[in-house]
Parts: sequence; structure tokens; C-alpha cells
Amino acid sequence: MRGIVFAILGGACITLQGVANARISQDMGTWPAASVTQLTGFLMALVILSFVRDSKQYWVRQVNPLYVLGGALAAPIIFSEVTAIRHIGVTLTISALLIAQLSLTFVIDAGGWFGVAKKRITAAQCIGIAMMIAGVLFLKM
Amino acid sequence: MAGGLVLALIAGALVSLQNIFNNRVNAATGLWSTTTLVLGLGFAASFIISLAVEGTATFQLDQMKPWYWISGVIGVGVVICLVQATKMLGPTFAISIVMTSQLGFALLWDSMGWLGLAKVPFTINQLIGVLVIIGGILVFKLGGSQEKQEARKVREGGE
Repeated sequence: MRGIVFAILGGACITLQGVANARISQDMGTWPAASVTQLTGFLMALVILSFVRDSKQYWVRQVNPLYVLGGALAAPIIFSEVTAIRHIGVTLTISALLIAQLSLTFVIDAGGWFGVAKKRITAAQCIGIAMMIAGVLFLKM
Repeated sequence: MAGGLVLALIAGALVSLQNIFNNRVNAATGLWSTTTLVLGLGFAASFIISLAVEGTATFQLDQMKPWYWISGVIGVGVVICLVQATKMLGPTFAISIVMTSQLGFALLWDSMGWLGLAKVPFTINQLIGVLVIIGGILVFKLGGSQEKQEARKVREGGE
């Protein structure tokens, strides 16, 4: 039960994050807005990290630099999401975003790219994505 | 309209990549090291682009309202909630509920126009659309998961 509450809150926070970024970008521009929200998030995470200290040793040498630099992807993600929310609204943005997210994860799993364990494509996954696209068509009607 | 949709699709594809990359970093370091690193790099990239695009306007913070400073904390909330939910429910169920909740709140937000965003009027088509999408997420995530769980049980039983 507590797990479900955390999951619902987590989803609410993800949507709220997009909405807050879109709202802030109306006032100060998208890139400064993305900078401010991530700076505060970074400082907060830094404070938590200083208490938790969960870093293992030698980690920099173990991780492919491509994966480390993945953090910078947040910049184009925020820009695209914020611009989309301002043009087509929150519901349509989140719907399209989730379709692309699940579809690419599914393709990466099927191809075993980036060293992920290769998974078989199931009929249920294809039907699921088709249903999501059908749902978006309804939204646009 | 089409431009907005394309941007949303790009964002989703990048989120998928970022999740995979973050998981890699997470496995080698730790949750909060990863979160700090990701937010720090995200800030650095946004700040550099902001300087290039907006120039000194980046530092004109007179439009800032106090709550903007705490908006970043939402991102930390996301990490805490997702980790706890995944621990308690397992990734498949947790992410199914997270995505359902994302869409539900998106519809609520559009209908209410909270925080001064343009209101998108609530229609029955929108409700049907969101319910069909949620159905799609559940079929995608949970369809066929029974056999996976059984396979896991067999594996665990054998150990």
C-alpha cells in the first residue's frame, strides 16, 4: 500500500516538474528556467549526498563516459518538454512522451543495445503501444 | 500542433536513453551520487546553452518568484518516490502506477489550468483517450509478466 502511494506521488511529481518548468519558462525563458530548477535540485541532492555518502571508490574508471554524460541530456529533455507543454498542453505532451519513452526502451531491449540484456518482443508490448497511439488519436479528436 | 508533438516524442526518446545511462552510473556508484551527477550535468548544460542563447539575460533574475527556487526540489522528490515504490512493488508494477499517475495528473492540470498555464477544456474524448493510453501502458507492462514472474519463482526456488 505504501509502495502504491509512493508510485502515485512519484508520477504526480514528474508531471508537476514539467508544469513548473513550463510556468517558470513563461517568465524568464526556457534555458534560464531549466538552469534554475536544476541548480536547486543539484544543491539539494548534494546536501543529501553529503549525509548518505553512497559513492563507491574508483567509480569514475568503471563507468563508460557516455553514460556519465547522459546527465546532460536533461537540457534537451526539459527544453522539448516545456516547449511541447506550451504548444499542445500537458496531457498530449505526457502521452506522446510516454509513447516514445516506452517504444525506444522496447527497441533497445529487443536489440540489446548499450549492453542491456536482450529481451524478446512480446505481442502484449506491441498491442500496448498500439493502444497508446489510439488513445492519443482520441485526445486529438 | 505537429511541432509540439514531435518535441514531446523527442523528449520521451531522450528520457528512455537517460534512464538506461543513469542505471549504468547508478550500478557503479550509488543512488545519490548518480542523482547529484545527473542534476549537476543537466544544470551545466542548460547554463552553457542559456549563456549562448540568452547572453547576459541569463542573470536577469528580477522575474524570479521565490517558489522558483524550490522547484528543483521536486526532482529530488521524484527520485525518492520512485526508489521507494520500486523497492516495495518491483519495477514493473511501480512504473505502471507511476505512468498512470503522470497521465492522470496531466489531465487534471490541463482541466484546472493551475499555476496559470493555458487551460485545456476537459472533454469526454480526453477522458476516453487517457483511459485507453493507461490501458495500453498496463497491457505493455503487465501483459505476459505472469510467465516472467513464474520463471523468477522457479529460479529463486532452485537456488
